[in-house]
Amino acid sequence: MLRAGSALASLRLTLGVFIFLGLSIMLAYFNEVRTSPWLVLSLSMLAINLLAAIATNQHFRRQLPLMCFHLALLAIVLLIALGRLTYFKGRAEVVDGEEFTGQFVDTEAGPWHPLGAAEARFTNLGTRIVYAPGPVRLGTENHVAWVDENGVLQRAVIGDHNPLIRHHYRFYANWNKGFALMFGWQPKQGAPLLGSVNLPSYPANALQQARQWSLPGNAEPIWAALHFDDQPVPEAGGEFHLPEHYTVVVRQGSQRWELAGEPGTGDIELPGGRLSYLGLRTWMGYQVAWDRTMPWLLAASLTAVLALAWHFWQKFSGRSWNA
Amino acid sequence: MDLIGELRVLWVAVIAYVLAGSIAIIGVLLKKRPERTVLGLMALGLVCHTAAIALRWQRLEHGPFVTMFEILSSNVWSLMLAFAIAYWRLPAIRPVAAIVMPILFTMMGWLMTVSPGETHLPPTYHTVWLFIHIGFGKVFLGATLVAVGLSGVILVRREGSSEGRFSRLPESDRLSELSYRCMAIGFVFETLMLIAGAIWAQDAWGRYWDWDPLETWAFITWLIVGISLHARLTFNLSPRLGAWLVLGVFVAAFLTFFGVPFVSNTPHQGAV
Repeated sequence: MLRAGSALASLRLTLGVFIFLGLSIMLAYFNEVRTSPWLVLSLSMLAINLLAAIATNQHFRRQLPLMCFHLALLAIVLLIALGRLTYFKGRAEVVDGEEFTGQFVDTEAGPWHPLGAAEARFTNLGTRIVYAPGPVRLGTENHVAWVDENGVLQRAVIGDHNPLIRHHYRFYANWNKGFALMFGWQPKQGAPLLGSVNLPSYPANALQQARQWSLPGNAEPIWAALHFDDQPVPEAGGEFHLPEHYTVVVRQGSQRWELAGEPGTGDIELPGGRLSYLGLRTWMGYQVAWDRTMPWLLAASLTAVLALAWHFWQKFSGRSWNA
Repeated sequence: MDLIGELRVLWVAVIAYVLAGSIAIIGVLLKKRPERTVLGLMALGLVCHTAAIALRWQRLEHGPFVTMFEILSSNVWSLMLAFAIAYWRLPAIRPVAAIVMPILFTMMGWLMTVSPGETHLPPTYHTVWLFIHIGFGKVFLGATLVAVGLSGVILVRREGSSEGRFSRLPESDRLSELSYRCMAIGFVFETLMLIAGAIWAQDAWGRYWDWDPLETWAFITWLIVGISLHARLTFNLSPRLGAWLVLGVFVAAFLTFFGVPFVSNTPHQGAV
Protein backbone atom coordinates (compact mmCIF):
# COMPACT_ATOMS: atom_id res chain seq x y z
CA MET A 1 0.00 0.00 0.00
CA LEU A 2 2.76 2.36 1.09
CA ARG A 3 4.77 1.34 -1.95
CA ALA A 4 1.87 2.12 -4.27
CA GLY A 5 1.42 5.48 -2.53
CA SER A 6 5.09 6.30 -2.98
CA ALA A 7 4.92 5.36 -6.65
CA LEU A 8 1.91 7.62 -7.13
CA ALA A 9 3.70 10.42 -5.29
CA SER A 10 6.79 10.20 -7.46
CA LEU A 11 8.22 13.45 -8.82
CA ARG A 12 9.14 11.56 -11.98
CA LEU A 13 5.44 10.82 -12.42
CA THR A 14 4.75 14.55 -11.88
CA LEU A 15 7.08 15.39 -14.74
CA GLY A 16 5.54 12.75 -16.97
CA VAL A 17 2.04 14.05 -16.26
CA PHE A 18 3.23 17.63 -16.85
CA ILE A 19 4.27 16.60 -20.35
CA PHE A 20 0.95 14.77 -20.79
CA LEU A 21 -0.82 17.96 -19.64
CA GLY A 22 1.14 19.96 -22.23
CA LEU A 23 -0.04 17.57 -24.96
CA SER A 24 -3.62 17.74 -23.62
CA ILE A 25 -3.46 21.55 -23.82
CA MET A 26 -2.42 21.31 -27.46
CA LEU A 27 -5.34 18.95 -28.10
CA ALA A 28 -7.74 21.35 -26.32
CA TYR A 29 -6.35 24.22 -28.36
CA PHE A 30 -6.93 22.50 -31.69
CA ASN A 31 -10.29 21.06 -30.65
CA GLU A 32 -13.64 22.83 -30.58
CA VAL A 33 -14.62 20.98 -27.40
CA ARG A 34 -12.13 22.58 -25.04
CA THR A 35 -12.85 20.42 -21.97
CA SER A 36 -11.38 17.34 -23.58
CA PRO A 37 -11.15 14.00 -21.72
CA TRP A 38 -7.36 14.23 -22.06
CA LEU A 39 -7.28 17.53 -20.20
CA VAL A 40 -9.54 16.16 -17.48
CA LEU A 41 -7.44 12.98 -17.25
CA SER A 42 -4.11 14.80 -17.03
CA LEU A 43 -5.38 17.23 -14.37
CA SER A 44 -6.92 14.34 -12.40
CA MET A 45 -3.59 12.47 -12.55
CA LEU A 46 -1.77 15.55 -11.29
CA ALA A 47 -4.30 15.86 -8.44
CA ILE A 48 -3.80 12.19 -7.47
CA ASN A 49 -0.02 12.58 -7.70
CA LEU A 50 -0.19 15.62 -5.41
CA LEU A 51 -2.52 13.97 -2.88
CA ALA A 52 -0.23 10.92 -2.77
CA ALA A 53 2.78 13.20 -2.21
CA ILE A 54 1.01 14.93 0.67
CA ALA A 55 0.05 11.56 2.20
CA THR A 56 3.44 9.88 1.90
CA ASN A 57 6.10 12.61 1.83
CA GLN A 58 6.86 13.98 5.29
CA HIS A 59 9.52 16.34 3.92
CA PHE A 60 6.95 17.85 1.56
CA ARG A 61 4.41 18.24 4.39
CA ARG A 62 6.95 20.07 6.53
CA GLN A 63 7.41 22.81 3.90
CA LEU A 64 4.31 24.83 4.71
CA PRO A 65 4.53 27.44 1.91
CA LEU A 66 5.17 24.77 -0.72
CA MET A 67 2.22 22.75 0.65
CA CYS A 68 0.01 25.85 0.54
CA PHE A 69 1.03 26.47 -3.07
CA HIS A 70 0.22 22.93 -4.15
CA LEU A 71 -3.04 22.80 -2.19
CA ALA A 72 -4.07 26.09 -3.81
CA LEU A 73 -3.29 24.54 -7.21
CA LEU A 74 -5.48 21.58 -6.26
CA ALA A 75 -8.25 23.99 -5.24
CA ILE A 76 -7.91 25.75 -8.61
CA VAL A 77 -8.32 22.45 -10.47
CA LEU A 78 -11.42 21.54 -8.40
CA LEU A 79 -12.91 25.01 -8.84
CA ILE A 80 -12.35 24.88 -12.60
CA ALA A 81 -14.09 21.49 -12.68
CA LEU A 82 -17.01 22.91 -10.67
CA GLY A 83 -17.04 25.96 -12.94
CA ARG A 84 -17.27 23.76 -16.05
CA LEU A 85 -20.20 21.87 -14.53
CA THR A 86 -22.16 24.98 -13.61
CA TYR A 87 -21.12 27.72 -16.06
CA PHE A 88 -23.29 29.53 -18.54
CA LYS A 89 -22.18 31.42 -21.62
CA GLY A 90 -24.50 33.04 -24.11
CA ARG A 91 -25.04 35.74 -26.67
CA ALA A 92 -28.12 37.93 -26.70
CA GLU A 93 -29.33 40.72 -28.96
CA VAL A 94 -31.74 43.30 -27.57
CA VAL A 95 -33.38 45.97 -29.73
CA ASP A 96 -33.16 49.58 -28.61
CA GLY A 97 -36.12 50.27 -26.31
CA GLU A 98 -36.94 46.58 -25.82
CA GLU A 99 -36.60 44.31 -22.81
CA PHE A 100 -34.29 41.33 -22.42
CA THR A 101 -36.53 38.41 -21.49
CA GLY A 102 -34.10 35.51 -21.44
CA GLN A 103 -33.89 34.98 -25.22
CA PHE A 104 -30.44 34.11 -26.51
CA VAL A 105 -28.96 33.84 -29.99
CA ASP A 106 -26.79 30.99 -28.76
CA THR A 107 -25.94 29.45 -25.43
CA GLU A 108 -23.54 27.01 -23.84
CA ALA A 109 -23.93 25.72 -20.28
CA GLY A 110 -22.58 23.15 -17.88
CA PRO A 111 -24.93 20.28 -16.96
CA TRP A 112 -25.51 21.64 -13.43
CA HIS A 113 -26.25 25.22 -14.43
CA PRO A 114 -29.35 26.44 -12.57
CA LEU A 115 -31.13 28.14 -15.49
CA GLY A 116 -32.32 31.54 -14.37
CA ALA A 117 -31.37 33.97 -17.11
CA ALA A 118 -35.01 34.92 -17.70
CA GLU A 119 -35.09 36.53 -14.25
CA ALA A 120 -32.26 38.85 -15.23
CA ARG A 121 -34.58 41.23 -17.09
CA PHE A 122 -33.48 44.68 -18.18
CA THR A 123 -34.30 47.19 -20.89
CA ASN A 124 -31.86 48.42 -23.52
CA LEU A 125 -32.33 52.20 -23.54
CA GLY A 126 -29.89 52.89 -26.34
CA THR A 127 -26.23 52.82 -27.22
CA ARG A 128 -23.56 55.37 -27.97
CA ILE A 129 -20.50 54.05 -29.78
CA VAL A 130 -17.75 56.49 -30.73
CA TYR A 131 -15.26 55.79 -33.50
CA ALA A 132 -11.90 57.35 -34.30
CA PRO A 133 -10.86 57.77 -37.97
CA GLY A 134 -10.20 54.40 -39.54
CA PRO A 135 -12.79 53.70 -38.24
CA VAL A 136 -11.54 52.40 -34.90
CA ARG A 137 -14.02 51.87 -32.10
CA LEU A 138 -13.08 53.93 -29.07
CA GLY A 139 -15.71 52.75 -26.63
CA THR A 140 -19.28 51.61 -26.07
CA GLU A 141 -21.79 53.19 -23.72
CA ASN A 142 -24.97 51.20 -23.43
CA HIS A 143 -27.77 52.65 -21.29
CA VAL A 144 -29.86 50.07 -19.48
CA ALA A 145 -32.64 50.09 -16.89
CA TRP A 146 -34.17 47.41 -14.69
CA VAL A 147 -36.42 47.04 -11.71
CA ASP A 148 -34.49 45.75 -8.71
CA GLU A 149 -35.58 43.27 -6.02
CA ASN A 150 -37.25 46.12 -4.07
CA GLY A 151 -39.30 47.24 -7.04
CA VAL A 152 -37.16 50.34 -7.61
CA LEU A 153 -36.23 51.37 -11.15
CA GLN A 154 -32.46 51.38 -11.61
CA ARG A 155 -30.42 52.80 -14.47
CA ALA A 156 -26.80 52.25 -15.49
CA VAL A 157 -24.38 52.82 -18.32
CA ILE A 158 -22.51 49.65 -19.20
CA GLY A 159 -19.80 48.96 -21.77
CA ASP A 160 -16.20 47.87 -22.08
CA HIS A 161 -14.93 46.68 -18.67
CA ASN A 162 -18.24 47.53 -17.06
CA PRO A 163 -20.85 44.74 -17.31
CA LEU A 164 -24.40 44.75 -16.02
CA ILE A 165 -24.66 42.12 -13.28
CA ARG A 166 -28.17 40.74 -12.69
CA HIS A 167 -28.77 37.58 -10.67
CA HIS A 168 -25.05 36.73 -11.12
CA TYR A 169 -25.40 36.91 -14.91
CA ARG A 170 -22.86 39.34 -16.34
CA PHE A 171 -23.95 41.20 -19.50
CA TYR A 172 -21.05 42.63 -21.48
CA ALA A 173 -21.79 45.21 -24.19
CA ASN A 174 -18.88 46.00 -26.46
CA TRP A 175 -18.45 45.86 -30.25
CA ASN A 176 -21.39 43.71 -31.35
CA LYS A 177 -24.39 45.70 -32.57
CA GLY A 178 -26.44 46.17 -35.69
CA PHE A 179 -29.70 47.32 -37.26
CA ALA A 180 -33.15 45.91 -36.58
CA LEU A 181 -36.10 46.14 -39.00
CA MET A 182 -39.33 46.50 -37.02
CA PHE A 183 -42.37 44.79 -38.48
CA GLY A 184 -46.01 44.30 -37.52
CA TRP A 185 -47.81 41.15 -38.61
CA GLN A 186 -51.61 41.05 -38.83
CA PRO A 187 -52.62 37.48 -39.60
CA LYS A 188 -55.95 36.85 -41.31
CA GLN A 189 -57.03 35.10 -38.16
CA GLY A 190 -55.62 35.75 -34.70
CA ALA A 191 -53.95 38.52 -32.75
CA PRO A 192 -51.45 40.93 -34.35
CA LEU A 193 -47.76 40.50 -33.64
CA LEU A 194 -44.91 42.97 -33.36
CA GLY A 195 -41.34 41.91 -33.87
CA SER A 196 -37.89 42.79 -35.08
CA VAL A 197 -35.63 41.26 -37.67
CA ASN A 198 -32.09 41.72 -36.39
CA LEU A 199 -29.75 42.15 -39.34
CA PRO A 200 -26.19 40.79 -39.08
CA SER A 201 -23.73 42.69 -36.90
CA TYR A 202 -22.56 46.02 -38.36
CA PRO A 203 -19.97 46.97 -39.63
CA ALA A 204 -18.53 43.44 -39.35
CA ASN A 205 -21.08 42.30 -41.98
CA ALA A 206 -21.57 45.62 -43.77
CA LEU A 207 -22.16 43.94 -47.14
CA GLN A 208 -24.63 41.36 -45.83
CA GLN A 209 -27.38 43.47 -44.33
CA ALA A 210 -30.15 40.97 -45.09
CA ARG A 211 -31.94 38.19 -43.28
CA GLN A 212 -34.51 35.52 -44.02
CA TRP A 213 -37.20 34.45 -41.56
CA SER A 214 -40.61 32.79 -41.46
CA LEU A 215 -43.97 34.30 -40.58
CA PRO A 216 -46.62 32.24 -38.80
CA GLY A 217 -49.07 30.83 -41.34
CA ASN A 218 -46.75 31.43 -44.31
CA ALA A 219 -45.11 28.41 -45.82
CA GLU A 220 -42.65 30.41 -47.84
CA PRO A 221 -39.95 32.34 -45.93
CA ILE A 222 -39.57 36.13 -46.14
CA TRP A 223 -36.31 37.81 -47.00
CA ALA A 224 -35.55 41.44 -46.11
CA ALA A 225 -32.54 43.64 -46.80
CA LEU A 226 -31.49 47.11 -45.77
CA HIS A 227 -29.86 49.31 -48.44
CA PHE A 228 -28.23 52.66 -47.71
CA ASP A 229 -25.48 54.88 -49.07
CA ASP A 230 -24.36 56.85 -46.00
CA GLN A 231 -21.88 55.70 -43.38
CA PRO A 232 -23.49 54.71 -40.06
CA VAL A 233 -19.92 54.15 -38.82
CA PRO A 234 -18.14 57.23 -40.22
CA GLU A 235 -14.74 56.47 -41.71
CA ALA A 236 -13.50 59.87 -40.58
CA GLY A 237 -14.64 59.17 -37.03
CA GLY A 238 -17.83 60.00 -35.18
CA GLU A 239 -20.76 58.22 -33.59
CA PHE A 240 -22.48 55.09 -34.82
CA HIS A 241 -25.96 56.08 -36.00
CA LEU A 242 -28.93 54.92 -38.04
CA PRO A 243 -28.63 55.62 -41.79
CA GLU A 244 -30.53 58.79 -42.69
CA HIS A 245 -31.69 57.61 -46.12
CA TYR A 246 -32.34 53.98 -46.73
CA THR A 247 -34.51 51.46 -48.52
CA VAL A 248 -35.91 48.23 -47.16
CA VAL A 249 -36.29 45.46 -49.73
CA VAL A 250 -38.67 42.60 -48.92
CA ARG A 251 -38.94 39.47 -51.01
CA GLN A 252 -41.09 36.38 -50.89
CA GLY A 253 -40.60 33.87 -53.66
CA SER A 254 -40.64 35.79 -56.95
CA GLN A 255 -42.41 38.84 -55.47
CA ARG A 256 -40.38 41.88 -54.44
CA TRP A 257 -41.33 45.06 -52.56
CA GLU A 258 -39.22 48.17 -52.01
CA LEU A 259 -40.10 50.30 -48.98
CA ALA A 260 -38.81 53.86 -48.89
CA GLY A 261 -37.31 53.89 -45.44
CA GLU A 262 -40.20 55.57 -43.66
CA PRO A 263 -42.39 53.81 -41.14
CA GLY A 264 -45.87 53.09 -42.43
CA THR A 265 -44.88 53.56 -46.07
CA GLY A 266 -45.63 50.07 -47.05
CA ASP A 267 -48.03 47.39 -46.04
CA ILE A 268 -47.45 44.12 -47.80
CA GLU A 269 -50.32 41.75 -48.37
CA LEU A 270 -49.18 38.16 -48.06
CA PRO A 271 -51.17 34.91 -48.30
CA GLY A 272 -51.41 34.59 -44.50
CA GLY A 273 -51.94 38.23 -43.55
CA ARG A 274 -50.52 41.77 -43.75
CA LEU A 275 -46.90 42.67 -43.03
CA SER A 276 -46.30 46.32 -42.00
CA TYR A 277 -42.92 47.94 -41.87
CA LEU A 278 -42.73 50.01 -38.64
CA GLY A 279 -39.25 51.49 -38.70
CA LEU A 280 -35.54 50.99 -38.21
CA ARG A 281 -33.76 50.69 -34.87
CA THR A 282 -30.48 49.34 -33.58
CA TRP A 283 -29.86 46.21 -31.56
CA MET A 284 -27.12 45.74 -28.98
CA GLY A 285 -25.29 42.46 -28.62
CA TYR A 286 -24.49 41.16 -25.14
CA GLN A 287 -21.95 38.56 -24.20
CA VAL A 288 -23.51 36.85 -21.18
CA ALA A 289 -21.52 34.91 -18.59
CA TRP A 290 -22.38 33.15 -15.33
CA ASP A 291 -19.71 31.50 -13.22
CA ARG A 292 -19.99 31.60 -9.44
CA THR A 293 -16.54 30.06 -8.98
CA MET A 294 -14.73 33.20 -10.20
CA PRO A 295 -14.11 34.95 -6.84
CA TRP A 296 -12.99 31.65 -5.32
CA LEU A 297 -10.68 31.00 -8.24
CA LEU A 298 -9.13 34.41 -7.77
CA ALA A 299 -8.65 33.76 -4.04
CA ALA A 300 -7.07 30.35 -4.71
CA SER A 301 -4.80 31.80 -7.42
CA LEU A 302 -3.60 34.60 -5.16
CA THR A 303 -3.01 32.12 -2.32
CA ALA A 304 -0.97 29.98 -4.73
CA VAL A 305 1.24 32.81 -5.92
CA LEU A 306 1.77 34.26 -2.44
CA ALA A 307 2.69 30.83 -1.08
CA LEU A 308 5.07 30.30 -4.00
CA ALA A 309 6.77 33.65 -3.35
CA TRP A 310 6.99 32.79 0.36
CA HIS A 311 8.56 29.39 -0.47
CA PHE A 312 11.21 30.88 -2.75
CA TRP A 313 11.91 33.68 -0.28
CA GLN A 314 12.60 31.09 2.46
CA LYS A 315 14.69 29.04 0.08
CA PHE A 316 16.91 31.84 -1.21
CA SER A 317 17.08 34.40 1.60
CA GLY A 318 19.73 32.40 3.48
CA ARG A 319 22.44 33.08 0.92
CA SER A 320 23.26 36.43 -0.71
CA TRP A 321 23.11 36.74 -4.49
CA ASN A 322 26.66 38.04 -4.48
CA ALA A 323 28.03 35.32 -2.17
CA MET B 1 7.85 66.83 -30.03
CA ASP B 2 6.91 65.04 -33.27
CA LEU B 3 7.71 61.52 -34.48
CA ILE B 4 11.08 62.54 -35.95
CA GLY B 5 12.18 64.07 -32.65
CA GLU B 6 11.03 60.96 -30.77
CA LEU B 7 12.97 58.69 -33.16
CA ARG B 8 16.12 60.81 -32.77
CA VAL B 9 16.00 60.35 -29.00
CA LEU B 10 15.38 56.63 -29.50
CA TRP B 11 18.40 56.38 -31.81
CA VAL B 12 20.60 58.01 -29.15
CA ALA B 13 19.34 55.38 -26.70
CA VAL B 14 20.05 52.51 -29.12
CA ILE B 15 23.54 53.84 -29.87
CA ALA B 16 24.24 54.04 -26.11
CA TYR B 17 23.00 50.45 -25.64
CA VAL B 18 25.10 49.19 -28.58
CA LEU B 19 28.20 50.95 -27.26
CA ALA B 20 27.57 49.51 -23.78
CA GLY B 21 27.13 46.00 -25.17
CA SER B 22 30.11 46.23 -27.52
CA ILE B 23 32.42 47.51 -24.76
CA ALA B 24 31.16 44.73 -22.45
CA ILE B 25 31.89 42.08 -25.11
CA ILE B 26 35.35 43.54 -25.85
CA GLY B 27 36.00 43.68 -22.10
CA VAL B 28 35.27 39.95 -21.79
CA LEU B 29 37.38 39.11 -24.86
CA LEU B 30 40.35 41.19 -23.67
CA LYS B 31 39.79 40.31 -19.99
CA LYS B 32 39.40 43.98 -19.11
CA ARG B 33 36.82 45.45 -16.73
CA PRO B 34 35.26 48.57 -18.26
CA GLU B 35 32.25 48.06 -15.99
CA ARG B 36 31.67 51.67 -14.96
CA THR B 37 31.63 52.77 -18.60
CA VAL B 38 29.23 49.97 -19.52
CA LEU B 39 26.90 50.79 -16.63
CA GLY B 40 27.06 54.51 -17.46
CA LEU B 41 26.17 53.88 -21.11
CA MET B 42 23.34 51.56 -20.11
CA ALA B 43 21.99 54.27 -17.79
CA LEU B 44 22.32 56.90 -20.53
CA GLY B 45 20.49 54.62 -22.97
CA LEU B 46 17.73 53.98 -20.46
CA VAL B 47 17.26 57.70 -19.75
CA CYS B 48 17.03 58.51 -23.48
CA HIS B 49 14.78 55.49 -24.15
CA THR B 50 12.48 56.50 -21.28
CA ALA B 51 12.30 60.00 -22.77
CA ALA B 52 11.47 58.59 -26.24
CA ILE B 53 8.67 56.42 -24.80
CA ALA B 54 7.37 59.33 -22.70
CA LEU B 55 7.32 61.65 -25.72
CA ARG B 56 5.35 59.13 -27.75
CA TRP B 57 3.00 58.49 -24.83
CA GLN B 58 2.34 62.23 -24.47
CA ARG B 59 1.78 62.70 -28.21
CA LEU B 60 -0.50 59.68 -28.75
CA GLU B 61 -2.11 59.78 -25.30
CA HIS B 62 -1.50 56.11 -24.75
CA GLY B 63 1.38 53.91 -23.67
CA PRO B 64 3.56 51.70 -25.89
CA PHE B 65 1.12 48.80 -25.98
CA VAL B 66 -0.37 48.44 -29.45
CA THR B 67 1.90 48.29 -32.50
CA MET B 68 4.87 45.97 -33.01
CA PHE B 69 7.14 49.03 -32.82
CA GLU B 70 5.70 50.02 -29.43
CA ILE B 71 5.77 46.48 -28.06
CA LEU B 72 9.38 45.93 -29.16
CA SER B 73 10.46 49.33 -27.87
CA SER B 74 8.85 48.85 -24.46
CA ASN B 75 10.33 45.36 -24.18
CA VAL B 76 13.83 46.45 -25.15
CA TRP B 77 13.41 49.13 -22.46
CA SER B 78 12.17 46.74 -19.77
CA LEU B 79 14.74 44.03 -20.60
CA MET B 80 17.53 46.60 -20.57
CA LEU B 81 16.26 47.91 -17.24
CA ALA B 82 16.11 44.40 -15.76
CA PHE B 83 19.60 43.58 -16.98
CA ALA B 84 21.02 46.97 -15.93
CA ILE B 85 19.69 46.39 -12.39
CA ALA B 86 21.27 42.90 -12.36
CA TYR B 87 24.53 44.36 -13.74
CA TRP B 88 24.54 47.09 -11.09
CA ARG B 89 23.52 44.97 -8.08
CA LEU B 90 25.38 41.74 -8.92
CA PRO B 91 28.99 42.69 -9.74
CA ALA B 92 30.06 39.04 -9.70
CA ILE B 93 28.11 38.21 -12.84
CA ARG B 94 28.82 41.33 -14.95
CA PRO B 95 30.63 39.48 -17.78
CA VAL B 96 27.27 37.84 -18.51
CA ALA B 97 26.62 41.05 -20.51
CA ALA B 98 28.61 39.47 -23.34
CA ILE B 99 25.83 36.88 -23.69
CA VAL B 100 22.79 39.04 -22.92
CA MET B 101 23.58 42.13 -24.99
CA PRO B 102 23.69 40.33 -28.39
CA ILE B 103 20.14 39.07 -27.67
CA LEU B 104 19.07 42.65 -27.03
CA PHE B 105 20.97 43.84 -30.14
CA THR B 106 18.78 41.48 -32.19
CA MET B 107 15.64 43.01 -30.70
CA MET B 108 16.97 46.53 -31.28
CA GLY B 109 17.72 45.67 -34.91
CA TRP B 110 14.18 44.35 -35.27
CA LEU B 111 12.83 47.50 -33.61
CA MET B 112 14.64 49.73 -36.08
CA THR B 113 13.17 47.89 -39.07
CA VAL B 114 9.48 48.06 -38.11
CA SER B 115 7.25 51.00 -38.88
CA PRO B 116 6.84 53.49 -36.05
CA GLY B 117 3.30 54.16 -37.29
CA GLU B 118 0.58 55.22 -34.92
CA THR B 119 -2.75 53.72 -33.99
CA HIS B 120 -5.50 54.08 -31.42
CA LEU B 121 -5.69 52.24 -28.14
CA PRO B 122 -8.47 49.61 -28.40
CA PRO B 123 -11.36 50.08 -25.93
CA THR B 124 -10.42 46.85 -24.15
CA TYR B 125 -7.08 48.44 -23.19
CA HIS B 126 -8.64 51.22 -21.11
CA THR B 127 -8.07 49.47 -17.82
CA VAL B 128 -5.56 49.44 -15.00
CA TRP B 129 -5.18 45.67 -15.60
CA LEU B 130 -3.29 46.52 -18.80
CA PHE B 131 -0.46 47.97 -16.71
CA ILE B 132 -0.58 45.23 -14.07
CA HIS B 133 -0.65 42.35 -16.59
CA ILE B 134 2.09 43.86 -18.75
CA GLY B 135 4.20 44.87 -15.75
CA PHE B 136 4.22 41.31 -14.39
CA GLY B 137 5.01 39.97 -17.88
CA LYS B 138 7.98 42.29 -18.20
CA VAL B 139 9.42 41.24 -14.83
CA PHE B 140 9.03 37.59 -15.90
CA LEU B 141 10.83 38.16 -19.19
CA GLY B 142 13.53 40.29 -17.51
CA ALA B 143 14.26 37.58 -14.93
CA THR B 144 14.33 34.96 -17.70
CA LEU B 145 16.80 37.07 -19.70
CA VAL B 146 19.22 37.24 -16.77
CA ALA B 147 18.83 33.46 -16.35
CA VAL B 148 19.59 33.04 -20.06
CA GLY B 149 22.77 35.09 -19.67
CA LEU B 150 23.94 32.90 -16.79
CA SER B 151 22.98 29.73 -18.65
CA GLY B 152 24.73 30.95 -21.79
CA VAL B 153 27.99 31.28 -19.85
CA ILE B 154 27.59 27.69 -18.54
CA LEU B 155 27.08 26.41 -22.08
CA VAL B 156 29.93 28.45 -23.59
CA ARG B 157 32.27 27.25 -20.85
CA ARG B 158 31.53 23.64 -21.74
CA GLU B 159 32.85 24.31 -25.20
CA GLY B 160 36.21 24.81 -23.56
CA SER B 161 37.59 27.58 -25.75
CA SER B 162 35.97 30.43 -23.84
CA GLU B 163 36.51 29.13 -20.35
CA GLY B 164 39.34 31.53 -19.72
CA ARG B 165 37.34 34.53 -20.81
CA PHE B 166 34.63 33.87 -18.25
CA SER B 167 37.04 32.72 -15.56
CA ARG B 168 36.18 35.71 -13.36
CA LEU B 169 32.62 34.43 -13.03
CA PRO B 170 31.68 31.98 -10.24
CA GLU B 171 31.70 28.22 -10.84
CA SER B 172 29.02 26.77 -13.10
CA ASP B 173 27.18 25.21 -10.12
CA ARG B 174 26.83 28.65 -8.57
CA LEU B 175 25.75 30.19 -11.89
CA SER B 176 23.19 27.43 -12.25
CA GLU B 177 21.86 28.17 -8.76
CA LEU B 178 21.59 31.90 -9.61
CA SER B 179 19.87 31.04 -12.85
CA TYR B 180 17.43 28.86 -10.85
CA ARG B 181 16.70 31.85 -8.59
CA CYS B 182 15.96 34.02 -11.62
CA MET B 183 13.65 31.36 -13.03
CA ALA B 184 11.90 31.12 -9.64
CA ILE B 185 11.30 34.89 -9.70
CA GLY B 186 10.15 34.55 -13.29
CA PHE B 187 7.75 31.75 -12.32
CA VAL B 188 6.13 33.87 -9.59
CA PHE B 189 5.71 36.82 -11.94
CA GLU B 190 4.48 34.71 -14.83
CA THR B 191 1.84 33.26 -12.49
CA LEU B 192 0.86 36.80 -11.51
CA MET B 193 0.77 37.77 -15.19
CA LEU B 194 -1.63 34.90 -15.95
CA ILE B 195 -3.89 35.86 -13.01
CA ALA B 196 -3.95 39.54 -13.99
CA GLY B 197 -4.54 38.55 -17.62
CA ALA B 198 -7.49 36.36 -16.61
CA ILE B 199 -9.05 39.24 -14.64
CA TRP B 200 -8.55 41.54 -17.61
CA ALA B 201 -10.01 39.00 -20.05
CA GLN B 202 -13.07 38.58 -17.83
CA ASP B 203 -13.54 42.35 -17.83
CA ALA B 204 -12.92 42.81 -21.52
CA TRP B 205 -14.53 39.78 -23.14
CA GLY B 206 -16.66 38.20 -20.44
CA ARG B 207 -14.48 35.11 -20.02
CA TYR B 208 -11.34 34.59 -17.97
CA TRP B 209 -9.95 31.85 -20.17
CA ASP B 210 -10.77 30.81 -23.72
CA TRP B 211 -7.77 28.87 -25.03
CA ASP B 212 -6.97 31.60 -27.53
CA PRO B 213 -3.46 31.31 -29.03
CA LEU B 214 -1.81 33.78 -26.69
CA GLU B 215 -3.44 32.34 -23.57
CA THR B 216 -2.55 28.82 -24.63
CA TRP B 217 1.09 29.67 -25.33
CA ALA B 218 1.41 31.69 -22.14
CA PHE B 219 0.12 28.66 -20.21
CA ILE B 220 2.45 26.32 -22.10
CA THR B 221 5.35 28.63 -21.18
CA TRP B 222 4.21 28.53 -17.52
CA LEU B 223 4.11 24.74 -17.73
CA ILE B 224 7.62 24.60 -19.23
CA VAL B 225 8.92 26.78 -16.38
CA GLY B 226 7.14 24.43 -13.94
CA ILE B 227 8.69 21.40 -15.66
CA SER B 228 12.18 22.94 -15.58
CA LEU B 229 11.91 23.79 -11.85
CA HIS B 230 10.59 20.29 -11.02
CA ALA B 231 13.21 18.62 -13.21
CA ARG B 232 16.00 20.33 -11.25
CA LEU B 233 14.63 18.86 -8.02
CA THR B 234 13.78 15.45 -9.41
CA PHE B 235 16.89 14.61 -11.37
CA ASN B 236 19.48 16.82 -9.68
CA LEU B 237 20.34 18.14 -13.15
CA SER B 238 23.82 19.11 -14.21
CA PRO B 239 24.35 22.88 -14.74
CA ARG B 240 24.57 22.25 -18.48
CA LEU B 241 21.22 20.45 -18.68
CA GLY B 242 19.65 23.07 -16.41
CA ALA B 243 21.01 25.73 -18.77
CA TRP B 244 19.37 24.05 -21.77
CA LEU B 245 16.04 24.02 -19.92
CA VAL B 246 16.37 27.76 -19.24
CA LEU B 247 17.03 28.34 -22.94
CA GLY B 248 13.93 26.25 -23.73
CA VAL B 249 11.85 28.46 -21.42
CA PHE B 250 13.26 31.59 -23.03
CA VAL B 251 12.50 30.37 -26.55
CA ALA B 252 8.90 29.49 -25.53
CA ALA B 253 8.48 32.85 -23.78
CA PHE B 254 9.98 34.76 -26.70
CA LEU B 255 7.65 33.07 -29.18
CA THR B 256 4.69 33.73 -26.89
CA PHE B 257 5.51 37.40 -26.41
CA PHE B 258 6.69 38.34 -29.90
CA GLY B 259 5.38 35.67 -32.24
CA VAL B 260 1.88 34.53 -31.30
CA PRO B 261 0.25 37.98 -30.98
CA PHE B 262 1.15 38.70 -34.59
CA VAL B 263 -0.13 35.50 -36.17
CA SER B 264 -3.37 35.34 -34.15
CA ASN B 265 -6.65 36.86 -35.29
CA THR B 266 -8.39 36.71 -31.92
CA PRO B 267 -9.33 39.87 -30.00
CA HIS B 268 -6.52 39.02 -27.58
CA GLN B 269 -3.68 40.48 -29.59
CA GLY B 270 -1.24 40.81 -26.74
CA ALA B 271 0.14 43.98 -25.34
CA VAL B 272 3.38 43.01 -23.77
